[in-house]
Amino acid sequence: MEMEKLVNKYELVVGLEVHLQLNTKSKAFCADENVFGDQINTHTSPVSLAYPGTLPTANETHIISAIKLGHALGCEIQKEISFDRKNYFYPDLPKGYQITQDRNPICVGGEVVLDEMANKTIRLHHIHLEEDAGKLQHIENSNYSLVDYNRAGTPLVEIVTEPDFRSGEEVLLFIQKLQQIARYLEISDANMEEGSLRCDCNVSVMLKGASQYGERCEIKNVNSKKFAKKAVEFEMMRQIKLIEQGEKITMQTLRFDPAKGTTSPIRSKEEAHDYRYFPDPDLIPYKVTDELIDQLRQNASILPKEAQDVLINQYGIKPYNASIICQEKNHYSYFIDLVKQEKTLAAPLANFFINKLSPLAEEQNISLPDLAIQKDQIIQLVGLIKEEKVSQNIAYKELFELVLKSDEVSVEKLAAKHGLIIVDQLDTLGPDLEKLIEKYPDKFEALAGGKKQFFGLFMGELMRASNNKANPKQIKELIDKRIKEYLS
Amino acid sequence: MRHYIKSIKPNLLSGQLLVSELVLQYLEQIEKSKDLNIYIEVFEEEIKAKAKSLDEKLAKGESIGALFGLVISIKDVICYEGHKVTAGSKILDNYTSPFSSTALQALLDQDALVIGRVNCDEFAMGSSNEHSVYGPTKNGFDSDFVPGGSSGASAVAVQMSTCAVSLGSDTGGSVRQPAAFCGVHGFKPSYGAISRYGLIAYASSFDQIGILANDKEDIEAVLNFLSVYDPKDASSVENFLQKPEEKKSAYKIAYFKEAITHEGLDPEIRSATLDQIEKWKNAGHQVDEIAFSMLENVIPAYYIMTTAESSSNLARYDGVKYGYRSPNSEDLQSMYINTRTEGFGPEVKKRIMLGSFVLSSGYYDAYFLKAQKLRGLLVQQMEVILNDYDFVAMPVSPCFPWKIGDADKDSLEVYLSDVFTVLANLCGLPAYAFPIKQSDNGFSISIQLMAKKSFDYHLFDLA
Repeated sequence: MEMEKLVNKYELVVGLEVHLQLNTKSKAFCADENVFGDQINTHTSPVSLAYPGTLPTANETHIISAIKLGHALGCEIQKEISFDRKNYFYPDLPKGYQITQDRNPICVGGEVVLDEMANKTIRLHHIHLEEDAGKLQHIENSNYSLVDYNRAGTPLVEIVTEPDFRSGEEVLLFIQKLQQIARYLEISDANMEEGSLRCDCNVSVMLKGASQYGERCEIKNVNSKKFAKKAVEFEMMRQIKLIEQGEKITMQTLRFDPAKGTTSPIRSKEEAHDYRYFPDPDLIPYKVTDELIDQLRQNASILPKEAQDVLINQYGIKPYNASIICQEKNHYSYFIDLVKQEKTLAAPLANFFINKLSPLAEEQNISLPDLAIQKDQIIQLVGLIKEEKVSQNIAYKELFELVLKSDEVSVEKLAAKHGLIIVDQLDTLGPDLEKLIEKYPDKFEALAGGKKQFFGLFMGELMRASNNKANPKQIKELIDKRIKEYLS
Repeated sequence: MRHYIKSIKPNLLSGQLLVSELVLQYLEQIEKSKDLNIYIEVFEEEIKAKAKSLDEKLAKGESIGALFGLVISIKDVICYEGHKVTAGSKILDNYTSPFSSTALQALLDQDALVIGRVNCDEFAMGSSNEHSVYGPTKNGFDSDFVPGGSSGASAVAVQMSTCAVSLGSDTGGSVRQPAAFCGVHGFKPSYGAISRYGLIAYASSFDQIGILANDKEDIEAVLNFLSVYDPKDASSVENFLQKPEEKKSAYKIAYFKEAITHEGLDPEIRSATLDQIEKWKNAGHQVDEIAFSMLENVIPAYYIMTTAESSSNLARYDGVKYGYRSPNSEDLQSMYINTRTEGFGPEVKKRIMLGSFVLSSGYYDAYFLKAQKLRGLLVQQMEVILNDYDFVAMPVSPCFPWKIGDADKDSLEVYLSDVFTVLANLCGLPAYAFPIKQSDNGFSISIQLMAKKSFDYHLFDLA
């Protein structure tokens, strides 16, 4: 309780630096293949290993990917961009400097809107191009380390936000949105576990309503959105406790330990490097033409928000369902192909997609088009439900199973063959109902008297009697009719 | 043996001379001039074999390259596949390049042959060829004297007829000044004309491969194949060099008052320069003395920018991936420190420290940024002048070669001796230095011409 009160006095302030690895064919400044997870040191060359006499050259796809992202995030695309060197020594950095953009980044401004958070807007400061470093492997109980240079030179964009976050939840949602957008643009798999999206969190706290931010600490290389949330939340508490104890926050670089859920210092900023940024003389400034910008804008991919709007406004899908379908672009594309064929089935198709198709694809770890059911069959199946030829229950279970296993293209034929079609059974249902009334006279009287809870009994017994093939609507009508007769 | 286009090539093609014979003559010259410490490595067996195969090629009537039998030497900063290249430094001890520089490859493709790699100042930093881990190279005019630098051994290699042409590199005069000190021709192209891919970097925005030879015909012949666009070098320019349509009968030439009245300029060099100017005037050219007050700024601008770039360019020599690694290190930090302390010579260390300083936070604006602005102004000024004039003429060096190990010469004085050559590099202009007079002191005096960017071939018309 005490702590909660304390926390309420303060406000969390977070800014993010997100590194996104791009899925270009080749590396950022040389022709090495850009792949993840291959055997160590198999994607290197004299250029990426910084052999004497080698030179970097810019990769146009790197620039194009950044422009696509800039368009999606509403940034201003800069017409003349240039590259700078960030100088520091580390064995994973072959040239002894990283090529980055310090003065003229590719994108300036932009924003991400968190619609789940009452349209809270996170402003972007800029997005710049840079290259990744290699990977060090420390060998335990030895006096050496190994380096894998496959990653050295992988194209990155760094997205730098303004300090606009006020909660860990916002951080989590922001990263989620960014991942979703990067995947829609097909510029990155944005997979945090594999490190293709990494995040540095700059965290400070201030008294609520204060006009000046507190001293900040930077949590480096967080590799999961949940960890990012936890890390900033832990760091907020750590800083509040320190301030409450009358201590000062000192600027430092931290790492987050997911097992313990705590942050701990890597090194103090005071002894941090002077990176000696200066224009890279090997790379001449690159002119981004209006033609390129226009062309990329015209051919831009649909974005998650736009996709949701299409489903909601053009097909009447419920917003919640639309957001689920649009989580992945290939889900959206697949679904839109379905509903385009049969617009009137949009709502039941959405249900079937969310409850059956998508979970099955995930379970089998295959993409939707690879499921053993054709789009046309999906429409037939959902159509049979709507036409009340097959009950939803049977369609979702037995019939769906049958379609997946069978070569039969016609779903209706398949349903008929296996006796799943609802049949008109008034001939037998009438006598069956009379038998039931004889069996449960009191309960029928009660039902007729208005005790609706007994309806299920009669309904269930009759369905069972029909081997679940009867039309529930017909049964209901039959029972209602009989009650009327009884009362008259 | 001295003039490829004028005599060697015709003799080879007519069958009067075999490439193998030619190569033996050069090897003999190398042997004779051994004391001058020109070559770090002679590719003797290799060139003999290549010469033989070229002779066979010609005998069989197969098609041959335009530089058939051109024997060249290469400065120890030019990468040649499968051969060692060390930039005159211990830090690249035993390093073998896995690829050839684009420029060298272009010559090899035309049936030129490499006889060996020659000494130079470490990482091309120096004006005397004294700063090499292999010791100083000596001037062929007088072996007590420096040959200039940093492509000093390239100049002596041509001077002593150990090859027809040598490829050097020119960052602030490193081809032209040694050419002048050794009485040979030295040419630095427009920045972007010759690919830098495979040239070990000193200062990227200044470096160009340059050509040393005994006449302009050979330089032109080689330049034809060197100046090709290379996508591997972002500063390489497509369809760059303009060949003059026809030779003008009268050119407009400017020279700077501040250069000719420069207090450090040797009186004999001054009068030789003025004599040449008179000759041009008498030949009907218009020669004007103009003011260029910014001349005094070129040295600081040059040294700030080149040391800054080199401090970063040389960061890759860290003992991690190739070259020298100090054996007496305990951890990463000490490996870096010991490797670089033991691997680099004093001149290189001095420039790395200077360059790191001018880029460091708090000094960047005062030094690097200011130098960069100055460079921009110099580029503009030279553009204005060269819109008006075909050429700018200047002495190459203010002084004659000095004695090796001259204790009176401090490094600042040596830096200041680059005053006439760095301008072309600061502005990316082509410049050509050629001898105009033999001095009684046993040395030669040269003059240099600069032209508008991409007007490289025009320089040979007047010279």
